[in-house]
Amino acid sequence: MKGPRRLAEPRPATVSAAGDGRPQTVDGRRVEAVRESWLIEDRWWTDAPLRRRYWEIVTADGRNLVAFRDLERGRWYTQR
Amino acid sequence: MCSHMVVCVLIPRFELAVAAGGREVLAAGPVALAPEAGREQLVGEASAAAEAFGVRAGVRLGEALARCPQLRLVTPDPAGVADEWERLVTGLENVGAAVEPGRPGLAWFDARGLRNLHGGTVEGVIAAARRALGTPARLGAAPSRFAALAAASRARVRRAEIAPPKLAAYLAPLPVDLLSGRPETAALPEALERFGIRTLGELAAVPRAALADRFGAAGPLAKDLARGKDSPLKPRRPAESIEERLELPESASGQQLERALGLLIDRLLARRERRGRPLRAAVLGAKLVEGGSWRARVTFREALVDPRRMRLVLVPRLNELPAPADALRLKAEGFGPPTGDQRSLLAEAAAVRAARLREAVRQARAAAGPDAALRILPVDPDSRVPERRLALTPWDP
Repeated sequence: MKGPRRLAEPRPATVSAAGDGRPQTVDGRRVEAVRESWLIEDRWWTDAPLRRRYWEIVTADGRNLVAFRDLERGRWYTQR
Repeated sequence: MCSHMVVCVLIPRFELAVAAGGREVLAAGPVALAPEAGREQLVGEASAAAEAFGVRAGVRLGEALARCPQLRLVTPDPAGVADEWERLVTGLENVGAAVEPGRPGLAWFDARGLRNLHGGTVEGVIAAARRALGTPARLGAAPSRFAALAAASRARVRRAEIAPPKLAAYLAPLPVDLLSGRPETAALPEALERFGIRTLGELAAVPRAALADRFGAAGPLAKDLARGKDSPLKPRRPAESIEERLELPESASGQQLERALGLLIDRLLARRERRGRPLRAAVLGAKLVEGGSWRARVTFREALVDPRRMRLVLVPRLNELPAPADALRLKAEGFGPPTGDQRSLLAEAAAVRAARLREAVRQARAAAGPDAALRILPVDPDSRVPERRLALTPWDP
């Protein structure tokens, strides 16, 4: 059954990252600065744990973005 | 053969099998349904292996574990049972049967009108019912409801039992324990056995007045049943129901659950199938994080369309939830007659504007579906995961 529409759903993104996980380009935009980074771990007691490393970044063209790497699947997403 | 033939479908230990996830679990060892959270500490249905130890439905939990220390308890799943039972009853209705459902796992229907559809015989009707069920079930047929249950109790899963027309003779050697399958006479078998009355034939021989003196109205009823007399079937009217379900990514309780319920109410009221009809009854259900489920049926004092009043009625029921929920569901089970909006004699400008807005939203929904007019609902505004904070819910001006 269809669930409710949620806001701020993650969107898959193409990100190149440095060795320490710091994003360098997000969807082709160069990252100018990383403002903040944080880790979210949740539902680790279930079969579907959630582990994300979030990055709040400013791109070279002045956009403020929030991107995260899904540490369970190894994929990158952007999120508003 | 008598033209009036009632078919009984009996699936023993239905609730236990559904909650355990399949009948094979029942064969594995002594298993019983655990008491429902917040209810009296009595075990539910028990497997045959557990019954061999003297564990039966209604026995106190402590006593059950004392009788059978290796007893495995299964968390009850009332919502799953209701869903599965509804699926089976609907399956029977789909072959044309007018079904009178009893407790989950027990149902009757009259084969009279179905014979011509299924080969002209009761056996053909039973075969069609068996195919519709698609799950092992005992089927029995007899001219009365009680006798059909007795026949189903004697049937095997692969071979149905059809009672002969002379019911009194057929029922006479059967145990009085069969009376426990009917709520009005459920208390009688134990007392009858104490008096040395073990078979329905012996019961039928007891004078009606003596039974009435000792058991009240249940006594003569039991005598009638033992002689093959029973009231006519009361088939249910196939009900229309609409349901909304919401997965709760973080196992929810408290205020978060209330918001989720508000969202479900909005979504249910915005469904096109409702066609302007108010809701008379709703079933609130939850899948629990610890396994199992919870279910509560609420009948409104009057048919409602007002989401705020529905919340007032439904939110307190959430306090009965025995554990945090993984998913919440709301099902509308009964509808009132379609209602128009009540108009005042002297409509004020604001009321007129609101009415126009409501009509505009209604037309937009008719054209584009329930998602045509939405508002943002804070589901879990403090969640650390952004997509869990806000959701879109149907908006009613």
